[in-house]
Amino acid sequence: MNISLFNLPNCLMLSMLLVLIGSYGVFRRRSLILVLLSIEVMLNGVNLSLVSFNFFRWGTVENSHYLYMLSIGVAAVEAAVGLSMIIVLFKNYNDITRNRISQLGEHAR
Amino acid sequence: MPVSPVVEIAFALSALVILVSSVAVVLVKNPVRATLLLIVSFLPTSLVYILLQAAFVGILQILVYAGAIMMLFTFVIMMINPSPKDGESPVGGSEGGEGGFSGLRGALIGLLIVGGLGALLLPMVFQAASQVSVAPVTKPGFGELSSISALLFEDPANNPLTVSFELISFLILVGIIAALNFSRRKGASADKEHAITTRPTEALPIVAREKAMDTK
Repeated sequence: MNISLFNLPNCLMLSMLLVLIGSYGVFRRRSLILVLLSIEVMLNGVNLSLVSFNFFRWGTVENSHYLYMLSIGVAAVEAAVGLSMIIVLFKNYNDITRNRISQLGEHAR
Repeated sequence: MPVSPVVEIAFALSALVILVSSVAVVLVKNPVRATLLLIVSFLPTSLVYILLQAAFVGILQILVYAGAIMMLFTFVIMMINPSPKDGESPVGGSEGGEGGFSGLRGALIGLLIVGGLGALLLPMVFQAASQVSVAPVTKPGFGELSSISALLFEDPANNPLTVSFELISFLILVGIIAALNFSRRKGASADKEHAITTRPTEALPIVAREKAMDTK
């Protein structure tokens, strides 16, 4: 096979497409849960670009693997806080569309 | 650079599966299906990590991402109980909404925004890729657990990565406190009402007063 697919431009292109797909979801989805899932898609693309840069350019130190661990820590915290906000919205308004997020701090009923 | 055809085919197939399932995550209306499709897109991502000689990262992707974080999403979707009508339910509600653009026009505007973002990102990708002309040179044992742990925890008194790695736990603690605070706000007033029933001798006049003020 003389055509090479597994190289840095293709990995970066894949991660760029993941970020674009996720940002489309963030712009378009109405349900806050689906917005959070789209953010996870974007984070996935960013992690992929980190690890592919580390393999193709700096194959001696695993700095990006460390950055990946930091990133999934941030993703876990973001999911926990975002989902608890969704639960509060659902308790108060019985509705988790994104227009409700401005009423999060108000007292319900 | 010579790469094994098995690696090429595995990379192409997993990239295809990742893209298709990610598009499905964004387009599908049912949140349960979206979560499961996201797990489907995480599995070939971990295969790509393994191809990039990051086996530990691939394991973390499955264990932490697909195992723990997606389970959190599934629990929350289970708690708030989406109704069977996917398109109109407040939980699974799809697009547009009051004050937003819906239907074809909204999709067009979303694609326009995303296309502009892609036009910004694409030259960066090509510029970053053009600066790499050499084949990847990895040290022996690259990406293995012993190598990563040596990077993180070697000489812990002087290693900045050790400190910042431990600071992740502090970040998670802050996240836990924030989530507890969110869930506590409504429960505090409910606790006050319940305290009346637990102390009957003090609570009796309060209950009587409330009953007197009750106009219904």
